[in-house]
Amino acid sequence: MAEIYLNDIAHGRSGDKGDTSNVCVYARKPEYYKIIEREVTPEKLKEHFGDMVQGEIVRYAVPTLGGFNFVMKHALGGGATMSLRLDSLGKSMGSAVMRLKIHVNDGEL
Amino acid sequence: MKKIAIGGGQGFWGDSPDAALHMLRHADIQYMSCDYLAELTLSIMARQQVKDPSKGYAPDFVSRILKEAGKEAWQKNIRICTNAGGMNITGCVDAIHEWASSQDMKGYRIGYVTGDNIKDKIPKLLKDGWTFPNLDYEGDFKDIQDKIYNVNAYIGHEGIEGCLSQGADVVITGRAADSALFLAPLKHEFGWAADDWDNLARGIMAGHLLECGGQGAGGNYMYDWRNVPRMDELGFPIAELTEDTMDITKAPDCGGIICEQSCKEQFLYEVLDPANYITPDVNVDVSHATITQIGDNRVRIGGIKGKPKPDTLKLCVGYHKGWKTVSMLSFAWPDAYEKAKYCGEVIMKKMARLGMRADEVHISYIGLNSLHLNVADMSEEALKNLNECVLRIAVFSEDKKECAKIIPEISPLQLNGPPGASFFGGRAHVQEVMALWPTVVPRDAVDIQSHILEVK
Repeated sequence: MAEIYLNDIAHGRSGDKGDTSNVCVYARKPEYYKIIEREVTPEKLKEHFGDMVQGEIVRYAVPTLGGFNFVMKHALGGGATMSLRLDSLGKSMGSAVMRLKIHVNDGEL
Repeated sequence: MKKIAIGGGQGFWGDSPDAALHMLRHADIQYMSCDYLAELTLSIMARQQVKDPSKGYAPDFVSRILKEAGKEAWQKNIRICTNAGGMNITGCVDAIHEWASSQDMKGYRIGYVTGDNIKDKIPKLLKDGWTFPNLDYEGDFKDIQDKIYNVNAYIGHEGIEGCLSQGADVVITGRAADSALFLAPLKHEFGWAADDWDNLARGIMAGHLLECGGQGAGGNYMYDWRNVPRMDELGFPIAELTEDTMDITKAPDCGGIICEQSCKEQFLYEVLDPANYITPDVNVDVSHATITQIGDNRVRIGGIKGKPKPDTLKLCVGYHKGWKTVSMLSFAWPDAYEKAKYCGEVIMKKMARLGMRADEVHISYIGLNSLHLNVADMSEEALKNLNECVLRIAVFSEDKKECAKIIPEISPLQLNGPPGASFFGGRAHVQEVMALWPTVVPRDAVDIQSHILEVK
């Protein structure tokens, strides 16, 4: 078992709608999809972000694309218009998700 | 088999015109659509228009795209759709008319779509019992009613298609949904029925992959950004549709990349539930979509389904919320972070003594955690030997005077604070904070009209 960054096996992009941030996360290789499915749960992301994401996190699977869409409410400090954050649009929320540490079993990579 | 090619020319107001001009000059396309409106753009335009009634649209569309390549596009019969009209559609149309007239473009048909701006209808709608519920937060719409800058409905393809049917060479809208700018020409060309949900959904997703310009062709590309060819000449994406297929590609001889991963990253960008991506034109289901590389810089998109459109239209309501100011001060090795942090504490003690009443204060350290905040690495190892660190303090207040109190207190810390503080960028300003009220209106509250102005 090894601990790696999600970034090592996934890629994606973040976007914003008001104070909601969405991050799509795709497996870099088809076989990594199952690792992401197991390791990147809404609960783990909620713990990862702490009070940075105030609302609920929902995960939508799109297996035909080998990825997931994570929708995080009240995640941008009020959203583009009101946020005091440097990254008010959450452009770096994608890489912040990729920073999640995940566990992979021997032989999975 | 009929094939229609449409390009995405702009991703936002302020985008580079280079890819759009290259596309108009060198790509085999019949249409180009340019998106200028992000969520808050209309509020900014509305505020500009209050100060100067001739403003309120995206003049760059005329000055940086049409003036450069608009005549060539017209001669090649490339038709352009854009929401550059913003809050001042007629201002934009007049500017285009003036340009086309000066270019001897007799017969050039400028289409424009009105009806998205429903600010004047608010009192009547309230009286009729519509409450404009806030979809994200609690609150009563009546509390913000007198602070509103703009109220625009996200409208669909109908008005744009109406202009194209009347032979428009260019179509100007206000708050048409980004993807509607692309669906309209496709529906017009293929003659899809108004309830042909699967095809409408295909057209919307073609638009979705194009509406952010370079982001659909290797810009903001996490998968392999180092190897995007010629990023300095990034091309924007082009969609080619037939009755059965939808391919994404780009113009010849430009930079960028079109591949499975570049399309995937854009595909779910700003989508919430992939099975219910709601637009004014159709409820799109991409939960079983496929994206397949079929050639060099060519990707095929499949498996898109559509469901009936919603009965309501999303509204863009921008209103005055308060004021903010952002101050920065930089520190160098040694102990850069420790100095920055201590300086922040000194400033906040001073502000407490001055009685600053801030509704919110946000402190972060550029170079350390101002982007990733909670998930940034703040371990001892990461902080040790930091070359430099920038203290950033952002203050929000509903009262402009309170917000301004911090501004003169920053630069003195160069002499009065921890060693080596360097002040840059000049004194901070108080900026207005505008907010969005996310809500919907019944579809029948919006009266969309298509118009044509022909150059004589």
